[in-house]
Amino acid sequence: MATDKELNDFLQNVERRAFKQAVYAVRKDESALDIVQDAMIKLAEKYGDKPAAELPMLFQRILQTTILDYFRREKVRNTWVSLFSGFGRGEGNDDDDFDILASLEAEQGSAAAESSADQVERTQTLRLIDDEVQKLPTRQREAFLMRYWQDMDVAETAAAMGCSEGSVKTHCSRATHALAAALQAKGITL
Amino acid sequence: MNIDDINLAYKIRHALDEQLDHLPASTVDRLAAARAAAMARRKPDARAGFGWHGVGAWFAGPAVSRLAIAVPLLALVIGMGGFYQHEQQQQLAALADIDAAVLADELPLTAYLDPGFNAYLESQQRQQ
Repeated sequence: MATDKELNDFLQNVERRAFKQAVYAVRKDESALDIVQDAMIKLAEKYGDKPAAELPMLFQRILQTTILDYFRREKVRNTWVSLFSGFGRGEGNDDDDFDILASLEAEQGSAAAESSADQVERTQTLRLIDDEVQKLPTRQREAFLMRYWQDMDVAETAAAMGCSEGSVKTHCSRATHALAAALQAKGITL
Repeated sequence: MNIDDINLAYKIRHALDEQLDHLPASTVDRLAAARAAAMARRKPDARAGFGWHGVGAWFAGPAVSRLAIAVPLLALVIGMGGFYQHEQQQQLAALADIDAAVLADELPLTAYLDPGFNAYLESQQRQQ
């Protein structure tokens, strides 16, 4: 069982990355902070007695579930808002057709996409990379971040994502190629 | 993925890590507060309740929770004891009734040991 210190160290180690992961998904800092807090509390409350080695996979799984819960709540809230406001989103955006993955993949022009000409080149490059990561399809981004940012192996990533190891490899490969192509198109060399 | 892809992935990772250092102070504070809240609500040791460690934890717990467990347990033990005593008394009473009936009967006890008497009883039952 993980000691208090191990659990605290683990959370401290992953909290910022988890926050960015949530921001990539929901695109709202405040909501992302709520999601990370919920995920941390769920991990501590329900899995606080697990060995330290299992914590990364469990936390990622909880984080992904919490993000999905957020989208479900948003969907319900949007349904009620559009029902009573009289200013619906139009027939083409019926909630029945709502697809989280599709909407996240297609959406652009968020705050994170802004760039500032007076920033130093490195900061600008980092921001562009951040944008390109955010633009990745959800599953590709999840797999890529878990494998290469959270240091999880293929098996752990597959368990956290609820898919096969082959799918993880495919997602990672596609994500890397997409990022390489996008960065090359913008003239960014790492 | 080939080596170039993996190298690119780790360069991107480095870039993403670099960005983490530039998070707003308010965000960092909020994350620290979230972590503290999570640690405060950590699941207690699952081993509590088993073995000597669990016994120690049980005695160390609040008096109300101890009573909440001890009172029903005590009631259960007393109830089971009472039920056992009642069953014992019932069995003794039934044996006493049988003994009294046998002793009060006109037939001597030695008759039941006689094989001929048993054969007589069986033949009587068949005739009935």
